[in-house]
Amino acid sequence: MKKILFKIGLAFLMLVLYLVLANIMYEKYFYRQDLKESDAEMLLKIDSLQFTSDVLYFAESSNATLADDDTCLLTIAQMIDSLSPKKVMAIDHGAIHAKTYKSLIENIKDDAKVKTLIVTLNLRSFGANWIHSKMETALMKANVMYEQIPPIAKRIKLAFNGFDNQNDQMRGHIMEDHWRHDYIHLPDTFPYKNVRAWDNAVGGGNVLNFTTPNGDWDMPRIELATSYIKTYAFTIVPSSNPRIKDFDEIVEIAKRKKLKLVYNLLAENMEYADSLVGKALTDVMKENAQMLIKRYTDKGVLVVDNLSAVAGKEFTEKRWTSEHYTQRGRWTIARNVANAMSIK
Amino acid sequence: MLFNSLQFIFFLPVVVLLYYLLAHKYRWILLFIASSYFYSVFYFPYVFVLYAVIIIDYVCGLLIERSEGRKRWWWLVISIISNIGLLSYFKYTNFFIDIFNETAPFVHISKHIKNLDIILPIGLSFHTFQSLSYTIEVYRKKQKAEKHIGYFANYVLFFPQMVAGPIERYERLGNELRISQRLSYENFSHGLRLVLYGLFVKMCIADNLAPMVDEVYQAPESYYSSSVWMAMIAFAIQIYADFYGYSTVALGAARMLGIHLMDNFKQPYFALGIQDFWKRWHISLSTWFRDYVFFSMGGSRVKTFRWIINVLFLFAVSGFWHGANYTFIVWGILHGIAYLLDKGVSNIIPTQIKQLKLFSIISMLVTFAVVVIIWVFFRAKDLTCSLAILKQSMSYGIEANKHLQVSCIPLSMLAIFVSLELAIINTRFDNWLASKQISFRWAIYSVLILCLLLFSGIKSFPFIYFQF
Repeated sequence: MKKILFKIGLAFLMLVLYLVLANIMYEKYFYRQDLKESDAEMLLKIDSLQFTSDVLYFAESSNATLADDDTCLLTIAQMIDSLSPKKVMAIDHGAIHAKTYKSLIENIKDDAKVKTLIVTLNLRSFGANWIHSKMETALMKANVMYEQIPPIAKRIKLAFNGFDNQNDQMRGHIMEDHWRHDYIHLPDTFPYKNVRAWDNAVGGGNVLNFTTPNGDWDMPRIELATSYIKTYAFTIVPSSNPRIKDFDEIVEIAKRKKLKLVYNLLAENMEYADSLVGKALTDVMKENAQMLIKRYTDKGVLVVDNLSAVAGKEFTEKRWTSEHYTQRGRWTIARNVANAMSIK
Repeated sequence: MLFNSLQFIFFLPVVVLLYYLLAHKYRWILLFIASSYFYSVFYFPYVFVLYAVIIIDYVCGLLIERSEGRKRWWWLVISIISNIGLLSYFKYTNFFIDIFNETAPFVHISKHIKNLDIILPIGLSFHTFQSLSYTIEVYRKKQKAEKHIGYFANYVLFFPQMVAGPIERYERLGNELRISQRLSYENFSHGLRLVLYGLFVKMCIADNLAPMVDEVYQAPESYYSSSVWMAMIAFAIQIYADFYGYSTVALGAARMLGIHLMDNFKQPYFALGIQDFWKRWHISLSTWFRDYVFFSMGGSRVKTFRWIINVLFLFAVSGFWHGANYTFIVWGILHGIAYLLDKGVSNIIPTQIKQLKLFSIISMLVTFAVVVIIWVFFRAKDLTCSLAILKQSMSYGIEANKHLQVSCIPLSMLAIFVSLELAIINTRFDNWLASKQISFRWAIYSVLILCLLLFSGIKSFPFIYFQF
């Protein structure tokens, strides 16, 4: 028995030795390559920008997506920077959400220069359509690289599937399940009680009667309408919504790190939502937005309400839902954020 | 639960520890709970599909044993229909719906059926086949019906091999599960060695080759033929490393519990012909089809023409077992044709020539080349893609503009793997290592652990055979 215990002890010691050795080698020779492969180079960005800027602007693609005919090529963060006496820099990447912001913010050190964080509060990111999107696996993988653990531990987590890496089919199945069963706060008289029923009815064409001049179904318009339903028809349940949990935790982290926090509730295309689907949908969107504004204002966050601030024509995407704005739309949002920050 | 997951790294030691702490009479409960948990991690509701398989075949087994004559046959038919029915529903429904939708317009049917939102329970093809082998054996009176549903459930559920085999027979696994295993250093060390080697093979070989293969298969027309060939060979190694890696971890995990699973591979790429290949590749499936399908069709005792048809049918079914796609059927049929040709040619070649070393080397290379080419149908998403790959592999790449970039990491890992496989010819990794000096053993452990830590693929590719 003693011999076996000795062997086990020795093996354990060897394993620790391997881990230390591997960590040194990994950090020196391979870590940067893995950051690149995991699409997690924002970590390098936050490591440097936190010491050179006063304000960090965390955003998805809304920050830097431009319209083809824009003459002003500034991002929203650059616009805020130009409107503010403080140095504002962006930490942004397409399709990221609060869970990524949270992990990145954890990397801000106590002696960092940055004192204010602006975080985009994207209404769409609270819906099942985004929460269970196929992009989630890649995002969660990158998230592992933002964790504050030794580099070799990050590698082990990636290699041994230590993150949410469900396959696309499973994510689609879960999303469908939410569409079929999630409660939406709609008038009692409203004929559809869930996304699937609503989507099927509108997708069938007869509900909205979108037709082309020839009398055929206007399929692009019908598909856009169903896309709005699948994207925005949800009622946020704070107790179970993972995005709420992430944004709540960001509040706690900011408090702990003594950082001023601004939530920038992004503009959605309310005009399109209204003209394509109708008041039932815009009411649900507004109700969710109001809930978020109240929740985070109560928690001491400065929430800038941009939900209806941008006109429909200032959205660059006409065929799907997004928060991509023309220069006029970006300036509107930047001004609202800069004004709110200077007032508070 | 995946073998290459942090969950499994913690799960396995806990189960092994509890297993040996418990008295033998309670171990089946532990294994049942552990296996159910292991499976439910994939998708909880589907553990009930497995329970359904267990209950049906447990009851059918008992009833077959108690019945006589025609009744016995009927209980077997019920078991077969239930298992194949479940498998067909989950695996083939959408495939047949697609066929209906594609062919309906030709016969003037305007109806379009929507695909069902079905997720295939992981490894369903494996556990239905394993469970079916039990009822068939009971019917053939080669196996007594199991009275204890717990032991029978563990035979179907046993977590190391439940999702991708080896497909065990009750005579072997069922009876091993009944034996009161005692903690032994030998079992433990052999088991750990197999787990370590299996993880190395899966994570350092298969997962490092997968991105290269994916890259070429996504757009074969962009690559020069040399690159296409590299991807074809890389896939042959990837699928072997993937499945062999899984099976080796399965063997290791079971061995830690004192249970010996059958070897599912015997270095198939060293095979000297297609017949030989099928004696070395996925042995548990080949023997299943041989024992329960081929022999039922008359085996080799039928006339030559009938035998040829039987062989082709068997390989086609085996291909279809792998997946609901035409590509798998073509893959199976091509293997059937290669098998028949090999059989025909080997009857003509004189024994003196067969004994030449040069002949063996040429046979091995030809077999490998044939298998590599046929794998294209297994990997490609559809027949069009398969043909595009094959066409590109034979073209001079007039329209191609890309070479496949191969980094030194996959090549280095491959060099280590091939060296080890050459060293363990005619034996197995754990047994080979057991015969070596402690310093040599630790040198090998060190290499494998450091490779796993530093060079394992981080793109997280699921085990290929899980989808079957």
